[in-house]
Amino acid sequence: MEFDFTPVVTYFPTLLKGVGVGSLVAIAVALMSVVGGLVVAVISIYTKKVVSWPLRFFIWLFMTTPLLLQLYFLYFGLGEWILIPAIVVGILGLGFHYMAYNADIFIATIKSVSDGQYEASRSLGFGHWNTILYIIVPQAFIRSIPQLGNNMILMVKDTSVLSAIGVAELVYASQYAISVSFRPFEFFIVIALMYYVINILMELGQAWLERQTAYRR
Amino acid sequence: MDFDLMVEVTPLLIRAAWVTIDISSRAIFFGFFVACGLVFLQTFRFAPIRWFARGYISVIRGTPYFVQLLLVFYGGPSLGLRLDPITCGVVVGAFNIGAYMSEAIRGSIESVDKGQSEAARSLGFGKVQTMVSIVLPQAASLMIRSVGVLAIVLIKNSSLVSIISVVELTYQAQRLIGSTYKPLEIFTISALMYIIIIYAVMGIIELAYRRATRYTTQ
Repeated sequence: MEFDFTPVVTYFPTLLKGVGVGSLVAIAVALMSVVGGLVVAVISIYTKKVVSWPLRFFIWLFMTTPLLLQLYFLYFGLGEWILIPAIVVGILGLGFHYMAYNADIFIATIKSVSDGQYEASRSLGFGHWNTILYIIVPQAFIRSIPQLGNNMILMVKDTSVLSAIGVAELVYASQYAISVSFRPFEFFIVIALMYYVINILMELGQAWLERQTAYRR
Repeated sequence: MDFDLMVEVTPLLIRAAWVTIDISSRAIFFGFFVACGLVFLQTFRFAPIRWFARGYISVIRGTPYFVQLLLVFYGGPSLGLRLDPITCGVVVGAFNIGAYMSEAIRGSIESVDKGQSEAARSLGFGKVQTMVSIVLPQAASLMIRSVGVLAIVLIKNSSLVSIISVVELTYQAQRLIGSTYKPLEIFTISALMYIIIIYAVMGIIELAYRRATRYTTQ
């Protein structure tokens, strides 16, 4: 048993390209899941049951089934209708998954904003939707930041699963290099290390963001 | 919806669901011991042992489960560690959930007011006795809930074992979708099975929670 990290050095640019694709996916998913989650949460709280119940059903469905199963469903399900690249399927799949988790958080925090805020705003002349948009949602959003950060850290780790449907992120990018160099251990150790560094950076970022917004909570 | 197909694939998916249950329950069982070990290591006076436990927990929680699985399964042989896919799924699952679980256990023990153990010590209870009969019963309610959530996460994560070709629920579902081209039907049945498993676990957690809190005033 001896280790040889030279193939890892040779294929390092490929791995970095994988990190690039992974980051792109992560940013797209973060935007989609936070914005989408907020919209889903607001709609499922403030509209009639005909609209809100199907939404709650989808939140529940995405939270009780594994990500990989959802990805396969989307990959093969969408593949029947239109030909779209794997990366789009990956972003949509991961996006919907975390949209459900974020919506669940937003529902809790929106409900935690006291009724007095709504009543005061209405009595000052704000309309129903204006109150929700300008008074309730900003307060709820600030309160959601710690949990949203946790979800986004989990999400970045889950981008590795997208290699299963052929998204060219870090794990997928290493497949070819591993198959020609026969050095899986060295490659996966380096990949794990890269994820670990990204994870620590995100944790630091989360702590910073929480400190910045703490006075508003 | 093709209901004939749904009836036809159900037995196959039920058999696959048993594999999911088997892997997950074994991983949770062994993971509990890993977690207790990690909690125990963190109480050592000798600092390097504590650092080791902290470092282990940090690394496991900071890297994807998926990469850990691939590392052990494909990279293990170069360290002389050859595991068959199912054992690999159980071992990696146990060592993964152990790190998360140890944090949950430590958190729930620390949530018990310090005055409780101080009072017990001053009444003449030993260290072990204080832990077993004063602190743990009070920590139990929080511990059961947080460990239960982790168990459910592990059941969902067990779908990743399909990548190393264990024929569990997600693997079977993916194969059936590939051969029948009926994603909606297959997804419905397999999702239903995950939901049944998860709700069964939630029921067990709830029962354990009620039992643990039956003497506490609420």
